[in-house]
Amino acid sequence: MSESAATIDVSLDRVRKSYGNVAAVKGVSLAIPRGSFFSLLGPSGCGKTTTLRIIAGFELPSEGEVHIRGVRVTAVPPYKRDFAMVFQNFALFPHLTVAENVAFGLRMRRIPRAERAERVRQALALVKLDGFAVRYPKQLSGGQQQRVALARAIVVRPAVLLLDEPLGALDKNLREAMQVELRALQRQLGITTVFVTHDQEEALTMSDRIAVMNGGAIEQLGPPREVYERPATEFVATFLGASNLLEGRIAAIEAGKAVVDTAVGRLVVAGERRTAGERLRLAVRPERLRLHPPSSSQGFVARIREIVYRGATVQVFLDCGKQPILAFLQNAAPDSFPWGPGDEVRVGWEPESLVVLDERPR
Amino acid sequence: MARPSLISGAAIPRRLLAGALLLPPLALFLAFFVGPLVYLFWVSLHSASQTALYGHQLTLEHYAQAFTDPFYLLIIRRTLLAAGAILGLCLVLGYATAYLIAPLPPRRRLWFLLLLLFPLMVSNVVRAYGWITILGRQGVINTLFRGLGISDAPLPLLYSFGAVAFGLMTILLPYMIISITNNLAAMERQYHEAAQSLGANPFRAFIHVILPLSSPGIASGMLLVFLLTMSAYVTATLLGGPRAKILVSLVYDSVTVFEWPRAAALAFVLLLLALAIAGLILLVLRPGRVQGRG
Repeated sequence: MSESAATIDVSLDRVRKSYGNVAAVKGVSLAIPRGSFFSLLGPSGCGKTTTLRIIAGFELPSEGEVHIRGVRVTAVPPYKRDFAMVFQNFALFPHLTVAENVAFGLRMRRIPRAERAERVRQALALVKLDGFAVRYPKQLSGGQQQRVALARAIVVRPAVLLLDEPLGALDKNLREAMQVELRALQRQLGITTVFVTHDQEEALTMSDRIAVMNGGAIEQLGPPREVYERPATEFVATFLGASNLLEGRIAAIEAGKAVVDTAVGRLVVAGERRTAGERLRLAVRPERLRLHPPSSSQGFVARIREIVYRGATVQVFLDCGKQPILAFLQNAAPDSFPWGPGDEVRVGWEPESLVVLDERPR
Repeated sequence: MARPSLISGAAIPRRLLAGALLLPPLALFLAFFVGPLVYLFWVSLHSASQTALYGHQLTLEHYAQAFTDPFYLLIIRRTLLAAGAILGLCLVLGYATAYLIAPLPPRRRLWFLLLLLFPLMVSNVVRAYGWITILGRQGVINTLFRGLGISDAPLPLLYSFGAVAFGLMTILLPYMIISITNNLAAMERQYHEAAQSLGANPFRAFIHVILPLSSPGIASGMLLVFLLTMSAYVTATLLGGPRAKILVSLVYDSVTVFEWPRAAALAFVLLLLALAIAGLILLVLRPGRVQGRG
């Protein structure tokens, strides 16, 4: 991260949060540049929501510092922080109309009535809810309520927009449409956004950067492509998409490369800072696997256990000795997959598809 | 959707069934509530009689008297004043208590509410006599004050407006607390956080969000307390005595001297006042707005 401090909108510095003896967040540090879309991704209980609530000020960190736009807000109450939030269930005020809901933040900021009305009108136009000003939230569909919640948040022009699984309450089609729309709106306004989700596809689709969280700590932080292509840990490799995990031991270091003995045979990986005899965990994505006829000399021999036809792709479950292997194959032609269960094939992949995982003691 | 014929076929018997189920309670309601009420109104429009329930002459004199006679006006005013004082006290004390109880974990909240309900298990008569032993001339307070030399003559605490208002307030407060607590406890915490996220400090979040969203609880609490105040006879009589009478006592007094038409008219005045104030409470609090329909 080379951005200067002036362009960092949100920063957490070694933030910890404990409830009694239970640590929900264990030393999270991150810096979110202005205008970027940042996702906190992880399973439930990983501390992503607690981290978001610490940024908002609904939870105070047990240790560490929180800055918003360079202002130290570690102990500042939520209503004095420069942020807005879209809640999981939207939390629209049921007793107020759509326009009154959107105007709420402006009223609290004592914006004059005329300016308030104009900004509410603009915000509603932005989320395409022009005709809905005098309706009540209960008279709207889930998708419309979501837009009102979004309008209510962006109308105050916050330094940072916090989104707490805002798409979770919507059905699948609507959710995908809203992902695109939300991202477009975020780019248009250039608003720094922190997005909490447990949905890896959602995080990959929308984010500039993703922090993958597990057990209260960040396992990996980087752009979607990097996090997916070069998972740092076993958790990241298996939580984001699927991975084949291989255990191995370095047999020798040859010309800067490590030769690793695994259940599927000898594999070669980058060998910097490695020593012979070291144990390694390797991962390879199922979609990177290629299947070759048994007569081929590529890859290693495996036997097909099961084939699952999924339309666009075919999932092939293989066994190489005791090592189970999963391959996703593109359904490129009607006859592109001539094998059946029990057949022997050879499995291979491009060397750069193999990733060495961190043996991070957890 | 796939079988419209079946649904429309079942609709008529179902409606008939619903009607049949409704019939017995409806009949009871008409026979034992609406009927007598109409008859009572009929009685209230007649002159008094020494021998019968009511005289032959049709007259509005009882109503006219209730709204012009200074004595009756005084009683009506006192009744409304007492109701207002009780409502105000119950609202402030009840809301504050509910606000403290509602965030508790459900089990502990339940224990608090049971504790609050406990006094309601003791008869009003017993509790009124309890107040008499505290407020009376030989009561706890007066004895204590004289013992401490604070006052020479016993203070006239009992049989006063204050005794009625205070006594009724203590009896009715749990109703207010319970209905507001239930409302607050069911309210999502997210509303409070949403308000704060939009820049509302805790006070403004309370005024603009929590208070309006608890209007159904406030309204039901106020209606309960108000209607029970208007019909609280035992407590009012025992603590108010002959000096601090309220409207219900007058109805009873008229009955004891066999002035049935006047008693009926006063009962209707009471009903009218109750309906008017109840309507006013709903109009001001608009509990329906929480449902988002204006």
